[in-house]
Amino acid sequence: MAAADLNEIRATVEGRLATELAGTPPLPVVFNNMAYEPTPNSSWVQCLTAFGANEYLGHGLTTSGYNRIVGLTLINIFTPKGVGPGANFVIGKRIRDLYNRTIVSGVFFDAPNGPEATGSPSPEGYFQTQVRVAFEFIEEL
Amino acid sequence: MAVLRGEQGAVQFDAAGSSNATIVGTRSWSLSTTKETLDVSKHGDTFRSFVGSMISGSGTVELVYDPDATGQAAFLEDVFTTADSADATFELFTTGTTSGSDSVSFAGIITDMEVTSTVGEIDIVTCNFVTSGTITGNLQ
Repeated sequence: MAAADLNEIRATVEGRLATELAGTPPLPVVFNNMAYEPTPNSSWVQCLTAFGANEYLGHGLTTSGYNRIVGLTLINIFTPKGVGPGANFVIGKRIRDLYNRTIVSGVFFDAPNGPEATGSPSPEGYFQTQVRVAFEFIEEL
Repeated sequence: MAVLRGEQGAVQFDAAGSSNATIVGTRSWSLSTTKETLDVSKHGDTFRSFVGSMISGSGTVELVYDPDATGQAAFLEDVFTTADSADATFELFTTGTTSGSDSVSFAGIITDMEVTSTVGEIDIVTCNFVTSGTITGNLQ
């Protein structure tokens, strides 16, 4: 029992995606605070993980206490513009299946939301969808 | 003086009543005590008079279910004790875990236990109890 290591939780969330997208067919994936210059008309993925509101779960202050730590991973999927959504949704399914209701290293992943097409792709020049994965970790002090 | 918050609380329990230990994973407790009254009004009185009589208590302890948490299993399963002689002891703390300080202690019986498992939520166990015998208050 120890305080949660948020970087370990982040690594669990993002490592799962990095491993999957290193497989066949491989896709570039970029995370927070990383420079990336996408190749025009290519497919690539952006993964942004953030922690949100936490809450007390049990009695006890710094010992014997439980906290709920919640977070959200936003995964932006970019595919070439003007050729329909199919290729994008194939990647979306691959990512969705990766997290859907799984429990990895104590991280509980909810059923993902999306892929949902965004009206204004950022960066422009791509067809963009977004998969949102809420997760939860129970900290045991 | 200091106002307390719930997370400072704790519950200690021992099914055999010999040595209370903290149950890990409790998230709330409540205790309600009642003193019965006896009417001692006499003929000729114009106002009723009472004296205090029997004191009893009952309450609830709620836990975040964790099968590996220290003390949980013994607490939850005490409801299955047959011919329960009310030998289990409880101490409910508003803050800290120092026996006899900021707490209420008593012997009692767990009268019901409810486990709740809901999709997307943490499993919760709720145990209700009644006190048996003396209730000792150390809430001052």
